[in-house]
Amino acid sequence: MTSLARKLAILALFALLGAATAQQLSFWHYWDGANGQVLQGLIDQYQAENPGVTIEAVFVPGSELVTRLQTAIQGRQTPSLAIADLVTVPLLTGSGALVPLDDYIAASNLDLDDYFPGPMVYGIRDGRRYSLPVSASNLALFWNKDLFEQAGLDPDVPPRTWSELIAFGQTIRERTGAWGFELFTQGGEGTSWQWQVFLWSAGGEVLSADLGSPAFHSAAGERALGMWADLVHEHGVSTIAPWGLFGRGEAAMVMDGSWMTQFFPMQVRFPLGSAIFPYADDGVPASNLGGEQVFLFASDAATEAAAWDFVAWFSSTEVQVEWNRNTGFMPIRASVADDPAYRAWVASARPLLQPFVDVMPYARARPPITNYPRVSDLLAEYVLEAVHARMTPAQALGAAESEIAPLLR
Amino acid sequence: MVDKRAAAVRGTPRSPNGGVGRAWPEALLLLGPALLVLATFSVYPALASIHLSLFDWDGIRPVRAFVGLDNYTRLVASREFANSLRVTVVYSAGMTIAALAIGLLTAVLLNQRIRGIALYRVLFFLPVITPTVAAGVVWRHLFDPSQGVVNRSLAMVGVSGPSWLTDPAWALLAVILVGVWKRVGFNVVVYLAALQGVPRMLYEAAQLDGATPWQTLRYVTIPLLAPTTFFLSVTALIDAFQVFDLVYVMTSGGPLRSTDVFGFFLYRYGFRYHELGYASAIAFVMFALIFVATLVQYRLARGGGRAG
Amino acid sequence: MRGRRIRTIATHVALIAGATVSAMPFLWMVTTSLKPPGALYQPPLLVPIHFEWANYAEAWRAAPFPRFFLNSAVMAVGITLAQTMLSAMAGYAFARLRFPGRDALFLVVLGTMMIPFPVTLIPSYMIVAQLGWIDTYAALIVPRAASAFAIFLFRQFFLHLPRELEEAALIDGAGRFAIFWRIVIPLSTPVIAASAIFSFLFAWNDFLWPLVVTTSPRMQTIQVGLAMFQGQYGVFWTLLMAACVLAVIPAILAFLVAQRRFIEGMTTTGLKG
Repeated sequence: MTSLARKLAILALFALLGAATAQQLSFWHYWDGANGQVLQGLIDQYQAENPGVTIEAVFVPGSELVTRLQTAIQGRQTPSLAIADLVTVPLLTGSGALVPLDDYIAASNLDLDDYFPGPMVYGIRDGRRYSLPVSASNLALFWNKDLFEQAGLDPDVPPRTWSELIAFGQTIRERTGAWGFELFTQGGEGTSWQWQVFLWSAGGEVLSADLGSPAFHSAAGERALGMWADLVHEHGVSTIAPWGLFGRGEAAMVMDGSWMTQFFPMQVRFPLGSAIFPYADDGVPASNLGGEQVFLFASDAATEAAAWDFVAWFSSTEVQVEWNRNTGFMPIRASVADDPAYRAWVASARPLLQPFVDVMPYARARPPITNYPRVSDLLAEYVLEAVHARMTPAQALGAAESEIAPLLR
Repeated sequence: MVDKRAAAVRGTPRSPNGGVGRAWPEALLLLGPALLVLATFSVYPALASIHLSLFDWDGIRPVRAFVGLDNYTRLVASREFANSLRVTVVYSAGMTIAALAIGLLTAVLLNQRIRGIALYRVLFFLPVITPTVAAGVVWRHLFDPSQGVVNRSLAMVGVSGPSWLTDPAWALLAVILVGVWKRVGFNVVVYLAALQGVPRMLYEAAQLDGATPWQTLRYVTIPLLAPTTFFLSVTALIDAFQVFDLVYVMTSGGPLRSTDVFGFFLYRYGFRYHELGYASAIAFVMFALIFVATLVQYRLARGGGRAG
Repeated sequence: MRGRRIRTIATHVALIAGATVSAMPFLWMVTTSLKPPGALYQPPLLVPIHFEWANYAEAWRAAPFPRFFLNSAVMAVGITLAQTMLSAMAGYAFARLRFPGRDALFLVVLGTMMIPFPVTLIPSYMIVAQLGWIDTYAALIVPRAASAFAIFLFRQFFLHLPRELEEAALIDGAGRFAIFWRIVIPLSTPVIAASAIFSFLFAWNDFLWPLVVTTSPRMQTIQVGLAMFQGQYGVFWTLLMAACVLAVIPAILAFLVAQRRFIEGMTTTGLKG
């Protein structure tokens, strides 16, 4: 064999060996469009630093991911790792198909105390942790500065309490004809998670600490629901209509998510302000969390280890800063929120995002129960009964309580 | 018409429809593939799902808990089921009847050798072939209380339109309207084809007898179209009972569950609450109701005329 | 005479009104798809005054639409061929052959039409997964290779087809299958066209099943792509409508092409009684 041929043969041998020992991972997610590209960029970076690993990122439309994971678990065709919406994690941890992460976390230098408390209530089952937060979003106040000005209000001063919310709303309604505040009245999760912010800020809780019984039928609960009903009927500040009034400039204020800091400026034709959402007059700031958690599916040891390695890398402060800067997702770790590069980016590129970052320590998560969607839908249904004035807040919460209590076992 | 002598000469006992014994291998060959597919992907899964309805399972836990008929007793006693039943019946009856009536009327009008009939047919059929997702998304916007075309048109004639999809009193009607919109074209086309097979003589005879157009319609046309009406109402009802895409896109079963049709009710419990056993029970009940309704229609048609 | 003229005018008015209601949402879809993003929240239009064709290019680029189109086409053609063939054969057997349990079997076939799809979803998926067909054309086509509706259609048609030619062939000793292929099928162009267009439209517009059995953009169909698009660009109605229009056009074209045959098919399926 010529020297060249021998070199080629050796190269081929190495390539074959490399291919044979290359670790293939599949990663299911629902991050779409630009976020999906950011993910791919980070994956490429990881692959460059870890040549033996290939990660195939598979996009599954958000609403179908859990269905697909369900059927995948049934058909034993699970990916190596996946993300899922916060709220669906209890469902997956009960499947027996996920890998407990405690040992991996202990062996790595991942500091769990650095994580914000809100998202961390998820992923725990029988004392073991099966998932980690990888992204978050939360809710805060947006307002239309033009309408504020038209109504004679200072366009840079948002309401901070419920009384101010009502007062500002009424002023706007009287002086501009626009609605003061847009409520999400289409039911389902949208209504439920907005109302929970009101409940928490009035000092209430959705469920008891052991998650075994409803806790929303309380003075705080009636206050929060009364506020919603009053916004529509008593104060005339809000109305029941399809979502989109704020975007069209027909309502001056709205509670919406951190992701809208990217979309609103593109869609609306007025200057925007954002602030922590007004809280009950003697209550506390609150927000509701969305976001995703990452978890590993049980398979062979090598795959699991490789998948964990990626997760640990992805969860590191540096990578998270990159991730958040490019996607607009909220920091899940205090070290990221305090990171100078991150703060500089927020200040220059997304100033609207700062209040969302500021409220992260106060942001609460929805109850981590398996049948949360059912509980949430029922809660929303009764919240709307009160908003539609078909029941009083006390009646509505009482009815909700009696229907929800048996579901919490 | 068969020359029995000729058949006897050949010694093959053939009746016009093929002898029973002889037909088997051919029946198998002709029916086999279709039946195999239907058995594997329709019948078996349906049975598997009936089996599933006797369990409590979330689709993920490795163990399923047998609960017998609990899912059914829970279902029948639940207020959500009673509501969903009412909503589904109203939707199905409303959509089917309206689409039939409008379809028939339109076909009768078109049948008068109107100019541009081909264009009309296409325009009426467009909704039928539009993907339901796209249709739902578009109509959701059209029903917007302040900006939508529907309310703006009503405003032009001085009527203040309701807040369609967010008003529990109107949302179901809105969904029915879209269902009718999507269905009418199909009825028009089928009725039109059926009408074009009706001999002109009959109409002329009726006219000679002094019948008004309305009387002709009622006493000549409609009875003649009975088999077509049967076919259209059966298929429409089966479809309407299972409506899902529209509700999913437009109202998500709301507001206040006023559009929570069976299809969506089932989806909620199966894919949102992950109660596969319960959802399977809902499916079985749906299936039973559809079956009974169809059977009733079949019997009615049998009594009234040839159903084929 | 005046009565007749009023009736004619009223007829035209009614028909135009009906046709407008029918077509109006589609018009809205098209005009919105041509609006620039800034005009998003402006009042709805029925006549396009904007012509932002860039929306279409943007929508086409935003997702691998060429691949989605191809997958939808392969799936739709595959399903159409399979359904037409299998259903014609089955419909013929039900119409012409006598065997014990024939009518009961036909009722069972009809019964499958009433099985709500979500019921069969998971067990069907499990079967497909076990066969190793996930993310293949087989998964998209085979489970839908038969259609109870098409069988119904064909049976109706064959019941009303005059039997003389077949009987003559029978007497000549020909087998049923050969009769089916050589004599009956050539006479069945109208119902074949009708059935084919139904199959094609069903397949083209189908969403939930292709979503569940495909996992990669390599295999996903146009409606799945549209749903992905709704997730990515849901807030951008102009792009969403552009994608909608792209997803709808083939269905319309197919219908326009097969329209005449479709109508002929309806005419002779004996539905008129």
